[in-house]
Amino acid sequence: MKILGLLASYRKNGNSDILAKEALMGAEEAGAEVELLRLTDHRIEPCQGFGLCLFRKEGCHIKDDVKFIWSKIGEADGILLSGPCYFLEATAVIKQLIDRAWVLAHRGDFRGKYASVMITYGTKGWTSLAMLQPNIFFGILGFKVIHREAVHTQGLGEVVHENESLQKARLIGFELAQAVQKQDPTYRSTPGLCPICQDWNIRVLKDRKNVECPTCGVRGRLTVRDGVIDVEFDQRALAEYRFDPEVCYNHFTYHIKPSRDYFMRTKDERKALVQRYKNYLKAEE
Amino acid sequence: MSKYIVHLRYYPGDSLEEIRPTDLDRIAEEHGVEVSFEKIDKREMVDGKLREETLDRPLEEISQEIITIRSEDEPRLRQAIAAIYDRYRSPRTPYGLWGSSPEGARLAKAVADETGGGW
Repeated sequence: MKILGLLASYRKNGNSDILAKEALMGAEEAGAEVELLRLTDHRIEPCQGFGLCLFRKEGCHIKDDVKFIWSKIGEADGILLSGPCYFLEATAVIKQLIDRAWVLAHRGDFRGKYASVMITYGTKGWTSLAMLQPNIFFGILGFKVIHREAVHTQGLGEVVHENESLQKARLIGFELAQAVQKQDPTYRSTPGLCPICQDWNIRVLKDRKNVECPTCGVRGRLTVRDGVIDVEFDQRALAEYRFDPEVCYNHFTYHIKPSRDYFMRTKDERKALVQRYKNYLKAEE
Repeated sequence: MSKYIVHLRYYPGDSLEEIRPTDLDRIAEEHGVEVSFEKIDKREMVDGKLREETLDRPLEEISQEIITIRSEDEPRLRQAIAAIYDRYRSPRTPYGLWGSSPEGARLAKAVADETGGGW
C-alpha cells in the first residue's frame, strides 16, 4: 500500500513541506510505503485547449511532466495533498493540474482512491476558497477525500512550534493509510455544509430561490431555523453531483463531443467573421 | 411560418425534472404560444449503463429532448421561455438552440442571461 505526498508548495522546509512529511511519517507508522512529490519541481504547462485528449485516443500532445505526475498518482493508493493558501485559494500549481486533468474525469483512471488535504494559511478570514482547488482536483479524479484541514501558521517552518498541528498531521497520514487498508471512506474532519465536498461556500442562483454548492453543482433551498442557517439539498441533485461518474459521462458525451459537429457546421460562416480579428493588435511573434 | 421559432435541446441529465407533454401543453395555453415536444433516445445499455457514441454524429440525431416553441408575439414567447426555464432550466450548450430562427435564438439567449436559466 502506497501513500504519495503531493506538495503544492515551492518552499523547501516550509510549513506545507513539514506537515506533509509529518503526515507521511504517520502513514508509514500505519504500514504504508511513502513517497513525496514536489509539484513545483516539475514542468506543468497550461492546457492549450486543443481537445485532443477528448477527441483522440492518443491524448494530450504537450511534452512536459504531467504524464509523469499522473503515473505517480496511478501508482499510489492514497494521496496526501499539502500546500499553502497565499491569497484566498490554494496555490496555482493545483489549478494547472486541474486544467490538464479533464479527460481523467471521463476515463476514471483513478476513481475510488483515497485522499487527504492539508492547507496552511497565515491570516484568518483570507481562506474562504482554500479548499476549492483541492476539492475540484480530487472531484475530477474521483478520489474519496477523508480529511480537509486548514492549518494556521505563517513564516517559513514556523509550524514546528505548533505541536497540535504536527500531531494532527501525523494522525491524518495514519488515518489515510488506515482508510486505504480498510477501504473505509468515512469522513474524519469536521463536516461542512455541502455533504459532498464538505465546503462552506454556497452560491445563490439568479432566481433568488435556490442555492447550490458551486463546486459540486448540488442545489437546494436555504433554511433558517432558530437563527441557524442551513441548506436542504435536493436528493436527486445529491445523487447527480458534478463529479458523479454518470454525470461526467453525460457531460463528455453530450456537452463536449457533439461540439465538433457544431464547430464543423459553423466553420464557413466563422471563417469570414473571424477575419476582422485576425490582424487586429497582432502580438509580435 | 412563425416569426419566432425556438428549439430548446436538452441532453441526458440536463433538465431539472422529467419533461412531460402535459406540462408543456399547460405552459402553451397559459402564455398563448405553440409548444411541441420530441424525444430522441439512441442510448444502448452496455454493462448496465446507458451509453452512446456522439462524436462525429449530427447534432439532431443524438439523444435529446427538444421543446419547440413557435410564436409571433415577443412578450408571450419571452414569458413562455421563462416558464420553461423555471421548470426545466435552460439548455446548457452553445448548440442547445440549434435550428432556432435567429430572432428566436436571440430571445432564448436573452431570457437565459436575464434569469440565469436555473444554472
